[in-house]
Amino acid sequence: MWKSAVRTDAGSTEEEQRLSLSTGAARKLATTTKSVPQMQGVSPRWLLRLLPWVEAEGGAYRVNRRRTYAVGDGRLTVTNTGADIRVIPQELRELPPLRSFPDDNVLGELASRFEQLELGPDEIVVTAGHPADRVYLVVRGKVRQLGQGEYGDETLLGVLTDGDFFGDGVFTGNTNTWPFTVRTTTPTTLLALRRQEIDRLREQSPLGEHIQKNNEISAKKQNKHGEAAIETAAGHDGEPVLPGTFVDYELAPREYELSVAQTILRVHTRVADLYNEPMNQVQQQLRLTIEALRERQEHELVNNRSFGLLHNADPRQRISTRTGPPTPDDLDELISRRRKSRLLLAHPRTIAAFGRQCSQRGLYPPPVQEHGQPVASWRGVPLLPCDKIPISDRGTSSIIVMRVGAEDQGVIGLRQTGIPDEVEPGLNVRFMGIDERAVMSYLVSTYYSAAVLVPDALGILEHVEIGG
Amino acid sequence: MTVLQSIGSNEQAGQSGDDQQRLSLGTAAARNLATTTKSVPQMQEITSRWLLKLLPWVQAGGGAYRVNRRLSYAVGDGRVTFVSTGSQVQVIPAELAELPALRGFGDVNALRSLADRFVQQEFGPGDLIVSRGQQADRVFLIAHGKVNKIGAGEYGEETVLGVLADGDHFGSEIITDAGTTQWDFTAKALTNVTVLSLTRQAMQQLNGQAEALREHIRRMQNLPRKAQNSHGEAAIEMAAGHDGEPVLPGTFVDYEQTPREYELSVAQTVLRVHSRVADLYNKPMNQVEQQLRLTIEALRERQEHELVNNHDFGLLYNADLNQRIYTRTGPPTPDDLDELLALVWKEPSFFLAHPRAIAAFGRECSRRGVYPQMVDAGGHQMPAWRGVPIFPSNKIEISDKRTTSFLLLRTGEQNQGVIGLHQTGIPDEYEPGLSVRFMGISEQAIISYLVSAYYSAAVLVPDALGILENVEIGREN
Repeated sequence: MWKSAVRTDAGSTEEEQRLSLSTGAARKLATTTKSVPQMQGVSPRWLLRLLPWVEAEGGAYRVNRRRTYAVGDGRLTVTNTGADIRVIPQELRELPPLRSFPDDNVLGELASRFEQLELGPDEIVVTAGHPADRVYLVVRGKVRQLGQGEYGDETLLGVLTDGDFFGDGVFTGNTNTWPFTVRTTTPTTLLALRRQEIDRLREQSPLGEHIQKNNEISAKKQNKHGEAAIETAAGHDGEPVLPGTFVDYELAPREYELSVAQTILRVHTRVADLYNEPMNQVQQQLRLTIEALRERQEHELVNNRSFGLLHNADPRQRISTRTGPPTPDDLDELISRRRKSRLLLAHPRTIAAFGRQCSQRGLYPPPVQEHGQPVASWRGVPLLPCDKIPISDRGTSSIIVMRVGAEDQGVIGLRQTGIPDEVEPGLNVRFMGIDERAVMSYLVSTYYSAAVLVPDALGILEHVEIGG
Repeated sequence: MTVLQSIGSNEQAGQSGDDQQRLSLGTAAARNLATTTKSVPQMQEITSRWLLKLLPWVQAGGGAYRVNRRLSYAVGDGRVTFVSTGSQVQVIPAELAELPALRGFGDVNALRSLADRFVQQEFGPGDLIVSRGQQADRVFLIAHGKVNKIGAGEYGEETVLGVLADGDHFGSEIITDAGTTQWDFTAKALTNVTVLSLTRQAMQQLNGQAEALREHIRRMQNLPRKAQNSHGEAAIEMAAGHDGEPVLPGTFVDYEQTPREYELSVAQTVLRVHSRVADLYNKPMNQVEQQLRLTIEALRERQEHELVNNHDFGLLYNADLNQRIYTRTGPPTPDDLDELLALVWKEPSFFLAHPRAIAAFGRECSRRGVYPQMVDAGGHQMPAWRGVPIFPSNKIEISDKRTTSFLLLRTGEQNQGVIGLHQTGIPDEYEPGLSVRFMGISEQAIISYLVSAYYSAAVLVPDALGILENVEIGREN
């Protein structure tokens, strides 16, 4: 063995006196076994695997719903220049009393009269029983809404966070007292608008009339989801006049058009013609391109501003963590808000943070099988990794939960199969031609979208802190 | 509608064409030729309706179902109801008849003067209302709050006998017992508690004035005790043993003379469809069918709501008072569910709770480092406690003070459990127990259908249904 070491030393001086064929020379005769080209960007793409795909034949899918009168509690966006924070006037329409109020000038006037408040953790913002004389917007931070419990102690009603508001009842002009106490959890920035300012504007502008009209709409008969009521009578005695009813539909239902992810794949004819053993060059190029397209497709399904799950969730189905890290309590809260939760989707680092919280409490949720693969779970709902869910630069992320399938009024994926030159469902590769430089081009396109059939099918746990 | 829409899209297409100088057909224009795939109308109100799925439905042939039971002598301890004006609480006079000693006493004037003599007292958490060994000289009614009943344990330490809450009472023996007695338990306030109390002196003072009351109490004192088992049912006499030649007791099983009858209740509505809509707009979905589908969903939701909340047969109201317990601390803990399981211990089938209450239970489990196993229920993974699945139902309401209830049921006619009642084979039946009848077409060409669902629920024996009350879901620790 040491002899060969000497040989190697000698070999470096080029005077090699080998007794047998070297491996270097031997490799000239042998074929190298080659892997197909590998790619790090490939992920399990659980979302694409588990979404039930529905055919959208005409390229569009219309989600018909029962008519709702719900004045959706939206979220308000603010702008800040330095430490000075202002609410964007048009965003004030998210407040139920101001919904679809036409006059931008009045809104601008209102927006300019908000005062900014900075509070530390565990400070009281409003106290139950005191007169409600302001509307508050939470700009940054978390506050707790606390009500009075059965025996006079405090009970948690909910957590409000960035963009939420409370006290919008002051617009109606009735004198009320706060039904709850609001206390900060973290350092919090709030915007507040006094009743006097609103009252002054109500007298001067068409504001008062508009608020009146909005009140009348919300007084229409509706169930707790804001859907126009289906009147029914129940009971046994007597001969009461039965309510006549019909089920009203939304007049302008949302239509989801199929979105497209596409690219042009170029291969030189020389490459495509000659270097095809043992692997077909075009096929390999195509395979990787398709993988990348599919990754992009999942990214869009999560992040697209129009139909992406993170943006398409109803504001009322978004909840915030109680303390910061993803705790079992938060996931219980998230799951309790819908029936048939099929899957939880989180960034792998969020899942790790959740695992830490479980271990801290001495909990070990058993893994469940998903497509033959053991995955983490909570309350029997698989907790699947998806690296498309962004992590903000402040180390916060989101957890998505959903019910799936058209029968259960859940979340569905939309695609169209049977398109020309289809190579995979909903994905086609079309030959574009060969240009003057002998480069062949293929157009690779995939068509997809996702629809949320009723709002409670999709929920999001926001402001999940994954650090520490 | 279709015409209007296509005009709208045409305009859009025209505009974008002008702006961009397109080289080919725009998607907006193309869509005017293509069909839009449409979902059937969606509805947020639909829930899993586990209660309707899980109850075994029994055919109530004649529209009524009679629950025959063994004769029972039990004078169940009722609950007393109060009226409060501001912070002043008063007992409703007629409700005093719920006290065992005053059962069946109808003299409203005497009851009113009795009610007037109750004195209101307030206690904070941890205060002692009565202590063991003290002289028992008054009857207490709990108007609001939770009270721990603490007795002496086997070796002199304290042991919790039970929790009393709103409407419960203790010390009512002093109404009938003349001799002086001592409290054999300590009553300790768990929360802020409002009680009304009546001293023996006040009682006797009134006793001297009201002849009818005195007479009634004397009759109650002399009431003969009949042989009964621990449930209050008339005893079936029997002998056990091996030795000797004792005379065997002759016996028969007595039945209740006026058993309870459950009549089928109805949820109904009139569905109206204009004949123009019904005739023309039927591709790809039948309009009437869709209207009917959603109406039926709403009716079924109403049906489940009634099965839980109806004052006559709803599960929350139909449970025996002895089958109701309170949470020990407030939030739903594993201890409380164990307690509930001890109440419905004969083959319990499932828990039913509001999803938020289930989440609160999950929080309490996580705090203790307990992860309840999931069980498979008809292909669904359900959280379970001690192997009994917990099903969600949003029909169990949450009060504005954020309290709710957990239900535990044994189901099935064979097991003497809770059953659902319906009648199949009704005319124009559309689904079991639900009929859709054509009512006619009005002068305005509106077609009306009468949609009715018939249902009820019966608790065959009281111990088939237990309720954990005053579950606080927002309590922060």
